[in-house]
Amino acid sequence: MNVLSPVLRLDSAGAWRPVGLILTLPLPALVQAQSSDGAPTIRLFPTTVVEDLRQTSSVAREMETGLQEVIGRLDQQQQLYNESKCDGAESDPGCQRLAKQIGATYLEMLGIMEERLPDMEHTVNNTRLSLEKRLRSELGNKMSSWTLQESLLGSNSSGTKPPAPTMRGRSGMRLSERFRQYYQLVASSASNSDQSLAVLASDIYLDMDETSELIARTREEIARATLIEQLNQSFGTITPEMMEIVGGVKSILFGDEADYVQVAGPPPGSFEEEYRSPLEN
Amino acid sequence: MNPIAKIRRYARYARYAIVVSIASIALSGCATSPPPCDGPQTKNLYTAIDHVKASLDSGCAAHFAAYYDDLLTIAEGDPKPENKRIFSEFLVWSTDEGLLSTRQAKEYYNRYFNVKFVSLASDYNNCSHTCPRRDRVMLDMQRELGDKERGLLKISLDNAGYYRADELYQEIELVLEATCTACSAR
Repeated sequence: MNVLSPVLRLDSAGAWRPVGLILTLPLPALVQAQSSDGAPTIRLFPTTVVEDLRQTSSVAREMETGLQEVIGRLDQQQQLYNESKCDGAESDPGCQRLAKQIGATYLEMLGIMEERLPDMEHTVNNTRLSLEKRLRSELGNKMSSWTLQESLLGSNSSGTKPPAPTMRGRSGMRLSERFRQYYQLVASSASNSDQSLAVLASDIYLDMDETSELIARTREEIARATLIEQLNQSFGTITPEMMEIVGGVKSILFGDEADYVQVAGPPPGSFEEEYRSPLEN
Repeated sequence: MNPIAKIRRYARYARYAIVVSIASIALSGCATSPPPCDGPQTKNLYTAIDHVKASLDSGCAAHFAAYYDDLLTIAEGDPKPENKRIFSEFLVWSTDEGLLSTRQAKEYYNRYFNVKFVSLASDYNNCSHTCPRRDRVMLDMQRELGDKERGLLKISLDNAGYYRADELYQEIELVLEATCTACSAR
């Protein structure tokens, strides 16, 4: 059941005051004390993590929206530069003007990223740290490899299994879309059992870990790239590095469909009643 | 020495010699040749199991692992879901005969015919025990997955079981990677 929860804010007198209501989604992983098969429920997704995911998706969408227009303009300018056969004719005044325009748009892109990335970094890190704590406690310290295996298999180890989300390596997807899907999977996980939640939490955590590292590296690079481009503006040149960075940003933010290739697994067999040996664990 | 004493002495030597010869003949008669412990030659699983049982009963228990492998090879030649039960019954017989402990029998069965990985049998928590030897654990699981391919897929035609074991392997790999990263990030 969805419920409305009050949003509190600390006022100037230091007291908590309600300033609005938010819709709280039901989270079975939180609510249930025990799963249906009697095994203790893994508490991997507290409300804070779910909210962080939603926020990350929203921040990523804002950044994409801001960058989409600039990157589109960069593509057009680059196309014009190529069509004007400016490659090898850099001394031509027209080409120099075009190169400067491209450089300015590039600087604009770096500026937007510089402005938006701290928010992104903050929400991604929050999610990563909350999940890290949960994974360490619930799967690392409370479980052995055997209980982890049993938890992943659930009560059904005979071979059949409800379809679980397969997430890793989805580079061909928008950043915001990826986080939106994560959020939806976690928030509407009424039918999700512990086994798929553990896989999902691990997947999100590793993804956040990589994203976090990537954002930190990108922020370091932006300052350097901005300086170099400001220098280049004086000469009106387009460096290969510039186009490489634009390509990198595009593939991170908007995905690269060619990379998203799935290999089919072996076909599942018949689901007849299986023989169960008395020796089975 | 008088001649009578001499004769008596020779007679005593002769008795010793006879006793020694009889004893050596008797001893050589007692020493049986070791059992051949050869593997089953048939392609029929039931006949092969009978052969193996007879060999195990006649002093070839040390060859259990080789016999089990022979039986698996024979079963690969006639794959069917029923093979799971045949192997289970053979292993239960082996524990009844005292050839295997229950734990050993379970390991022999589950390694090949169950989705669960016996390589993950541990009672200690993941942060302190599994993570420090994660590479080793994954290597053992990979080998076991090969055995499951043989037992579930090639012998029992249990495609779904093998598919689930393969998926479980990938899930464990992912979850352990995340968990161990989280454990080491204290």
